[in-house]
Amino acid sequence: MKKEEKKKDVKKIQKHMKEKLVVSFAVILLAFAGLALRLVKITTEDGTRYTKQVLSQQEYDSTTLPFRRGDIVDAQGTKLAVSEKVYNLVIDSKVIMSEVQGKTPYYEPTMTALGKYFELDMNAIREYVQSHTSSAYYVPLKQLTYDQISGFKAEMDANDKIKGIWFEEEYKRVYPMGSLAADVIGFTGKDNTGTYGLEEYYNDVLNGTTGREFGYLNDDSALERTIKPAVDGYTIHTTIDANIQSIIEKYLLQFNEEHKNAVRTGNGAENVGCIIMEVDTGNILGMASYPTFDLNNPRDKSALLGNVLVDEVGNKVKPTTYITESVLETLEGDHLYQNYNYLWKNFCIADTYEPGSVAKAFTVAAALETGSITGNEVYTCNGSLHIGGHDISCHNTYGDGAVTVEDSIAWSCNVALMEIAQATGKANFSKFQQIFNFGLKTNIDSAGEARTAGLLFDASMGDADLATNSFGQNFNTTMIQMITGFCSLINGGNYYEPHLVDKITTSSGATVENIEPRILRQTVSESTSEKIVQYCNAVVMRENDRRITGRTARPAGYAIGGKTGTAETLPRGNDEYVVSFMGYAPADDPQIAIYVVVDRANAEDQDDAKFATGIVRNVLTEVLPYLNIFMTEELSETEQQELADREQEITNMYAPTPAPEEVTGEVSPESATASPAP
Amino acid sequence: MKKTKKNYTEYYFDYSLLFIVLFLVGFGLMMIYSVSSYEAYTNYGNEAFFLIKQLRSVIIGLIGMAVVTFVPYHWYEKLYGWGYLISCALLALVPFIGIESHGVKRWLPLPGGFQFQPAEIAKIAVILFCATMICKMGKGARKLGGNAILMIASAVMALMVYFCTSNLSSAIIVLGIGVVMIFIENRNYSVFVIFAVLAVVAVVAFVMYMKNVGMDDGLSWRFERIVAWLDPEAHAQGKGFQTVQALYAIGSGGIWGKGLGQSMQKLGFIPEAQNDMIFSVICEELGLFGGILIIVLFLILLWRMVIIAINAQDLFGSQLVIGVTAQIAIQVILNIAVVTNTIPNTGISLPFISYGGTSVIFLLLEIGVVMSVARNIKLVE
Repeated sequence: MKKEEKKKDVKKIQKHMKEKLVVSFAVILLAFAGLALRLVKITTEDGTRYTKQVLSQQEYDSTTLPFRRGDIVDAQGTKLAVSEKVYNLVIDSKVIMSEVQGKTPYYEPTMTALGKYFELDMNAIREYVQSHTSSAYYVPLKQLTYDQISGFKAEMDANDKIKGIWFEEEYKRVYPMGSLAADVIGFTGKDNTGTYGLEEYYNDVLNGTTGREFGYLNDDSALERTIKPAVDGYTIHTTIDANIQSIIEKYLLQFNEEHKNAVRTGNGAENVGCIIMEVDTGNILGMASYPTFDLNNPRDKSALLGNVLVDEVGNKVKPTTYITESVLETLEGDHLYQNYNYLWKNFCIADTYEPGSVAKAFTVAAALETGSITGNEVYTCNGSLHIGGHDISCHNTYGDGAVTVEDSIAWSCNVALMEIAQATGKANFSKFQQIFNFGLKTNIDSAGEARTAGLLFDASMGDADLATNSFGQNFNTTMIQMITGFCSLINGGNYYEPHLVDKITTSSGATVENIEPRILRQTVSESTSEKIVQYCNAVVMRENDRRITGRTARPAGYAIGGKTGTAETLPRGNDEYVVSFMGYAPADDPQIAIYVVVDRANAEDQDDAKFATGIVRNVLTEVLPYLNIFMTEELSETEQQELADREQEITNMYAPTPAPEEVTGEVSPESATASPAP
Repeated sequence: MKKTKKNYTEYYFDYSLLFIVLFLVGFGLMMIYSVSSYEAYTNYGNEAFFLIKQLRSVIIGLIGMAVVTFVPYHWYEKLYGWGYLISCALLALVPFIGIESHGVKRWLPLPGGFQFQPAEIAKIAVILFCATMICKMGKGARKLGGNAILMIASAVMALMVYFCTSNLSSAIIVLGIGVVMIFIENRNYSVFVIFAVLAVVAVVAFVMYMKNVGMDDGLSWRFERIVAWLDPEAHAQGKGFQTVQALYAIGSGGIWGKGLGQSMQKLGFIPEAQNDMIFSVICEELGLFGGILIIVLFLILLWRMVIIAINAQDLFGSQLVIGVTAQIAIQVILNIAVVTNTIPNTGISLPFISYGGTSVIFLLLEIGVVMSVARNIKLVE
């Protein structure tokens, strides 16, 4: 480029300066290029992460709306578990202390109203509000009911000088029936996570979807709010009937009251469990165990009193120790938690034990089904049988003499059963244990079911194993396994999946799912089933026979069938027994099955099936009429008197001190069933 | 530059420079509105609060620029001494009658409730002083004594800025302007290269040392900023907060951005988003594309100014333009470097775009001077 210079003496920019200017510009160019690269790097390398950060920071602008966890109701619609809306009082000091023309016009009216409607230490609140003027979230009161806050809300609406107070909504799980069906229901804490029972098993069904209130800026930069409402959880309808359940629990409690502290300080038994099941559906009408706890206060230490003490990992302390006041004081941390777990778990599905003689019905059924016996055999019992190098004795050590198959069940003869099992053979015997689902989960819809497959023998078992298995020793089952299998024995062979819930509905009542009874398999044939019913009826109903074992289980006016069980626990010879009765009613057409297990009764002689039959009798006496099952047997005078007394007692249920019912019934000849196994 | 075949003298007017400046200023106003409306509304009840204040300064600046464009720039030559002294005097006044804001005194009051930053005047004063001295000393300016005079003048002003207004960033700019002007005026390269290498080595050594220093070791806040710079996310809730939020903004913008006005980070997350951190919101709303476009615009602006400096009618004009070019280049580089966490956080505004009245007025006046120099370039046949 050319330039015209008017004056020679004007100094112009020199060549080296031009050069340096260009060099400088090149440096600037490089710097700019470097910065542009840096921008590219930030966007491409960290873009995704930073985008998430930006979005997560926005959360303060939106609030979550809690969903309402679904109810749990019983078969009649009685509410067993509900979620109630409660309110947390939130103080926003920033708003209360906000200044208008140099004054704080909201402070005094708000404080006055707070003091008027809530039980608060107002001096402390005033001090807090004044010293935390930037705090927007302080919660002095939690879980208030609507009634508790309605007065304040009305005043707040009327007076616009009351500011900076709001109520955060949440739901609180409440169990209107307290401890009723505690094991079945389980409980739920603040975080909507169920612990044990239906609350745990159906956790996802019961929980809804959290809603959200969004804040966003519209085109005019004004904050707008939009609400995505919460979806409430589904209601589950259990097959449990609160009336049947409370009858069961009444008698479990009564048993405990009668036997606690009898020979040792502690509960009436380590555990008592009872299940009532519909024979032709697998529906569970009632399921309870003792000791139990209050669902509204599951961490009540006093509920542990009298229980068996477990150690830090949940195993029973040896020798068996029972929780006393002084032990209770030492419990804390994990140790306390394990003892709570022991209390919270559902004995009926989570505890395994050797079932004892109730298994005899299964042994005979397997033998009949495989054709190993016809039912017409007669065995001879001399008091013991020599098998596998051991003398395995019968509970009647003098021997029962000639024993028919029916007698072997009615009298609970070990020798006859050992011979029947030998006739069946190991392979068939263990195959039928599998068919009866022993050791495996029944898939009942409740949390914490135990599996005991490892505690069963297979076809390679020894002779002595087969012999002891025949009368229910040396293998472990759960209560639910036994009663579910037993139902199939007496209903014609249909093995129903046991279940506790038969319907799921939305919060407004629309049906989401009907859970129909489900037959899993055919265990035995109709004819075998009929024979088992016949044999089991003899256990309770055979007349003029002092050797039958189950007579004491019969409720006045009814004909029922069943089988007693007395199992010696490990180690053998410690005189500790699990006694049980597994029965059904009515005898000719079984509708319901009942199973009661008394685990180590608090008694001098634990091996008395009367502990279990007594509970069965009491429960059935009330449950059968409730289920509209009519009496078929004539009532004796003493029985009439007893029923009249009982009616009176039920009428006076809320009277101050009802006289404890005395267990009546004839004395069972059964004393000891099992003898030490090899 | 066009040649003309007409036989009368035609003067040059750099339209592209004018348009870029107008665009940047207009763009700045738009971004200030976008960035600040949320805070303006919540804090002042008027979403255009910052926009209106800036618009007032921009109008004053544009009028000033127009006037200055037509003022012969040689008039300023006589003012260099007074300009320097008055600037120093104003700086010296700050500790006594300065107005405090954000915990530091940097502003001087003006009648009518206005206020201004004397540090902005200091930048102009140094440019004017150095440009005049280089012309006066002629070849002497390239000797040791001449360099020393220029260096001392810049350094004294920089120290004044630092100590009177505790504004390190402006002090660095003042010193930077001086160094660039000395560099261009000298024939020598080697000395500058040696100094640059030494400076880089010193910085690297210092950074290595700082990496082993924790936040709790009782450092002054400037050093804490350096610790935060080395790992901003570790100090995201403390000293690194502003930097990290700016990085979040840039990173979340992606290539095309969230759209004008759609920034989420401006909603109270980036402190002072309309000031020093405005570039991060530009990147968030307009993406990498918008960010790089702004960088390119500044580059074109600087290139136009280099052309003007090379072709200026006389050395004084060239030197004035060189000074202004140096100032804008340094500010842009440092600002973007801070926003991208390339250097430790220090408050430097983005020329023409950031919120700040004094800054935009004086920058526009300086552009007026540049255009005045350009206007005197004769297009001849």
